[in-house]
Amino acid sequence: MSDTQQSANKMRLVSRSTLAKETALATLFFLCAFVAVLGVALIFLFVGWRAWPVFSEVGIGNFALGRVWDASNEVYGILPLIVGSVIVTLGALALGTPLAVGTAVFLSEIASPRVRSVVRPAVELLAGIPSVVYGFFGIVVLRPIVAEFSGGTGFGAFTAWVILGIMIVPTIAALSEDALRSVPDGIREASYAMGATTWQTIYKVLLPAAKIGIIDATILGMGRAIGETMAVLMVVGNAPVFPEGIFSPMPTLTAQIALNMGYASGTHRVALFGMAAILFMFSMALVAAVRWVSRLGGE
Amino acid sequence: MHSPALFLITVVLVAILGVTGCGRRDDGVTELVITGSTTLLPIAEISSEGFEALNPDVNVLVSGVGSSAGIEAVAQGTADIGTSSRDLKEEEEGLGLIDTPVAYDGIAVIVNPANPVTALSMEQLKAIFAGEITNWEEVGGPDMRIHLVNRDEASGTREAFKKIVIGKESNFDLRAAVLPGTGQVRDVVSRTDGAVGYISLGFVESREAARDVKALKVDNIEATPVTIADETYPIRRTLHFFTKGAPSGVAKEYIDYVLSPEVQEGAVTEAGFIPITVGNEAAQ
Repeated sequence: MSDTQQSANKMRLVSRSTLAKETALATLFFLCAFVAVLGVALIFLFVGWRAWPVFSEVGIGNFALGRVWDASNEVYGILPLIVGSVIVTLGALALGTPLAVGTAVFLSEIASPRVRSVVRPAVELLAGIPSVVYGFFGIVVLRPIVAEFSGGTGFGAFTAWVILGIMIVPTIAALSEDALRSVPDGIREASYAMGATTWQTIYKVLLPAAKIGIIDATILGMGRAIGETMAVLMVVGNAPVFPEGIFSPMPTLTAQIALNMGYASGTHRVALFGMAAILFMFSMALVAAVRWVSRLGGE
Repeated sequence: MHSPALFLITVVLVAILGVTGCGRRDDGVTELVITGSTTLLPIAEISSEGFEALNPDVNVLVSGVGSSAGIEAVAQGTADIGTSSRDLKEEEEGLGLIDTPVAYDGIAVIVNPANPVTALSMEQLKAIFAGEITNWEEVGGPDMRIHLVNRDEASGTREAFKKIVIGKESNFDLRAAVLPGTGQVRDVVSRTDGAVGYISLGFVESREAARDVKALKVDNIEATPVTIADETYPIRRTLHFFTKGAPSGVAKEYIDYVLSPEVQEGAVTEAGFIPITVGNEAAQ
């Protein structure tokens, strides 16, 4: 029996009250999905509306390309903050991605079921730790260590990379493991049948086959890293300048918004919404990238 | 995770007070909301406990979110008393806020105890925090880079330090680390050899903190309650309670309690601040 026939039969065979229930449920689920869409739309409109005066009050060039952020003197150039966010995110990805993909390969290809039953919950637990706890760990444990060997205060890109690198592992590892598991066993067996070792199978066959899924996972990890606020705020140092090095205090967009939003008013507040709008654009670009990569994979 | 640190602290404090202090909200209990400077937290908290003991039908909610946020809250009516460790800015003067000074405070310049430097002049301090002097060697110390530790812009301590030490024409060195709390500044300076920061005198000696910091003499004058009250130590300020209009009702009773000798010689002195009465005597 084909699908259409099945649903047509169902419509005819159920009682009227069941049909009403079915319709009500369908409406309910539609409303659930609608709330998400409505939420995004409202946030988008609100941020855009509050950020709009940035064009007239600061000027888009002075704002997005301005090299000095000095709110107490009403200079609102956010280029150092954008650069800071990018540095922190890329560094965290460089540290976190190999770690996460390695974890995924281990879980999916190498670990025995018993080892897996210990490692996987541990990785999942990493995702459940609140970011303020990561930040607290960073400031109390990691920062003094970094300060010791760098000779600085311990605030800066390096400390943020380590903390964020660990934070994005669960996101990337879980999705990469899914991608590796969805490679059909027949492909593994074919590889082993050709005389390939486990390592050869992993890097010549499985990783290329799961490539699209792993790239998707990395992009989502990037979204997590660029949006992270609390943990980063506590360890980057928040100096609103281009960093002199990886051990110098530096800013990020999210941390600067969080630090300032309690008291900012007037143009300063508009500038914060402008920064939020730019973060929004980053997210949209990342979501678009995920969809684009997935479509490439589908072809 | 999208909340700022200060907001989080507020929520936690309100939650703690909510759990321990009340549970009688529906029985005609009056709530008194006090918010603002983190510097003033010890005074506001300890005196609120004493005030609640004297007035069981009043529930005092204290939080520390920074002086500017406190002033904004009392101006908008979301708080009954806004606490501030700085004076009103020009744009805040038209808001109809009435000032009640409650204590004096000195801002201590702190360095790591391992740093042999013991005193700086106001000019040296200004040059250091403006980023013109970057090595301790230039002020008679060892060849060691100066690591500046600054507060965020919501901080009344930063505002006061800027006004007194840096002045209007110059600026803080923007490369300094910006930390959202007095405790963090103290902690970082206590663990970093070349670091220098500034905190309220009341926080220099800390029973809880594991490590010490060293307060520097400024213009050769040590920061003590005596030198602050007699106005010889240069980096000093007044701590304020702001109310919308003249204080009235429970807010007035609370402010009178804070100004009473019991709190002034108790909580205020114990927190390392100088009673407003001492300053009044010195001025006369």
